[in-house]
Amino acid sequence: MAEQRYLQRHHKQTRVTHAIFVISCIWLMISGLFVFVPQLSAAAGADVAQFMRVTHRIVGCIFILTPIISAIISPSGAKHFLGKYGYKWDADDKEWMKKFVPYMLGPKRVHMPDAKEVKSGQVVADGAIMVGALMMMISGLVLWLGGVFGASATFLSVARLLHDIFFLLLVVFVIAHIYLGAGIFQPYKRSLRTMWGDGKISESDALYHWGKWARQEIEEGRVYEDKK
Amino acid sequence: MSEKAIYFDSSKCTACKGCQAACKCWNNLPTPYELNSAGTFTGTLQNPPDLQPNTRIIITFNEADNGKKYGVNWAFGRRACMHCTNPACVSVCPSGALYVDEETGLVTYDSSKCIGCQYCRSACPFDVPRHTNVGLTGDNIKINKCTGCVDRVKQGRKPACVSTCQPGALQFGDRDEMLAMAKERVEYLKGKGFADARVYGETEAGGTHVIYVLKYPLSQYELPENPQPSGFVDAFGILKPLTAAAAVATVAGLGISYATGVGYKRPTMRYDEANHDVVDAETGEVIKHIDREAGEL
Repeated sequence: MAEQRYLQRHHKQTRVTHAIFVISCIWLMISGLFVFVPQLSAAAGADVAQFMRVTHRIVGCIFILTPIISAIISPSGAKHFLGKYGYKWDADDKEWMKKFVPYMLGPKRVHMPDAKEVKSGQVVADGAIMVGALMMMISGLVLWLGGVFGASATFLSVARLLHDIFFLLLVVFVIAHIYLGAGIFQPYKRSLRTMWGDGKISESDALYHWGKWARQEIEEGRVYEDKK
Repeated sequence: MSEKAIYFDSSKCTACKGCQAACKCWNNLPTPYELNSAGTFTGTLQNPPDLQPNTRIIITFNEADNGKKYGVNWAFGRRACMHCTNPACVSVCPSGALYVDEETGLVTYDSSKCIGCQYCRSACPFDVPRHTNVGLTGDNIKINKCTGCVDRVKQGRKPACVSTCQPGALQFGDRDEMLAMAKERVEYLKGKGFADARVYGETEAGGTHVIYVLKYPLSQYELPENPQPSGFVDAFGILKPLTAAAAVATVAGLGISYATGVGYKRPTMRYDEANHDVVDAETGEVIKHIDREAGEL
């Protein structure tokens, strides 16, 4: 059997940015629940809820600044990041999206077309997370600074409603993202390594997930022997 | 104890602001030292210009043309918690800090339970609740608003503001008695030529435990025409269970997805750069369609 080769899926900066973003996102969700779920704040007591609320602001800053700082450190990386999501869908991409739900519910029976560096389904799912995160940042800043500068009650209510709606959106898409990204979904096994390991993916898995991208990478020589 | 109400007769008020001072004394609220924080001097006697984290009650001042050659319609109003029957602040409070005192109907709170989210402020149709320590860090934000001096009322005393009112514009007692007194006073005022005199608080916001006799048109008082708890309050209530349901549905759906995927296998593949083909690493056979052939194993 031929030796297994690897492709570099995510660079170190991408992985570090993602890690900080994820940890702050999870902390924001947990601390936010102390205000969102009455039973939780009642059970934990006001001191804990107050502490959680203060950390929500501090971690919120980290959440907002992380992608901005990462983009400043590597403008070309940021450009590539946005570019790989903003492509025009061809027939394969549309077919992939159409088959996504049946595929999730029957991966042994439903077969997916070839994909580019970012699958059409990833564009939608990651896009929802990006839009959701952006809306949480904006509405969160309004709720925070609006309170400080004495914004009107209606304005704050709109911001809070948006904060609640996009929280719902994020809960759904983040759970799905973890399910797929962490490789709990059986065909996606081993994909955790691309973001939480050394950023590599085996040639075989890369060909399966993002065939068009993988073939181009290999053709252009960006394929590596595994360093054991 | 029966339902209580604070009665305020704007036609008797002399705007001495004794109620503001009495409130601060009883509730241990400091007075801000800055100049009138309205920013620019407008000539009004209203001070402070609005409710503050340490000011639970203010007397409002408004002058309007009376249509005569001399004089003005000088309206003295009162702005503080209205103690709604169905308070929006209580329904949005996530920690149970705000509550309705069952015996009196007054809307009060337990500061030690307040988590500082300030949702009550955005829910209140009268823009009443204020919070201390509102700032960038937001450490230890606590609600501050009129409690109806429920502590005094429980001891058989009147609220601090009422107890100090020299002209008797403020009264305290059973709500139905206060309402009857207000209606009688409005009739009297109408008889005296104040055509716009009216009772405020009987039905507003579902009925409040503060009953006002307004001598001049409502527009001369800092009170909303048709106070309604914000429609957002209901939306907030719906979103909590909806989010929980969405989370459960997502996890359940993914559970099914996981179950159907158990045992999934596909061949190890490799790319043959020379022939531009994807081949099975074991057999060396060309794989035309990666997923189709893999999935049909």
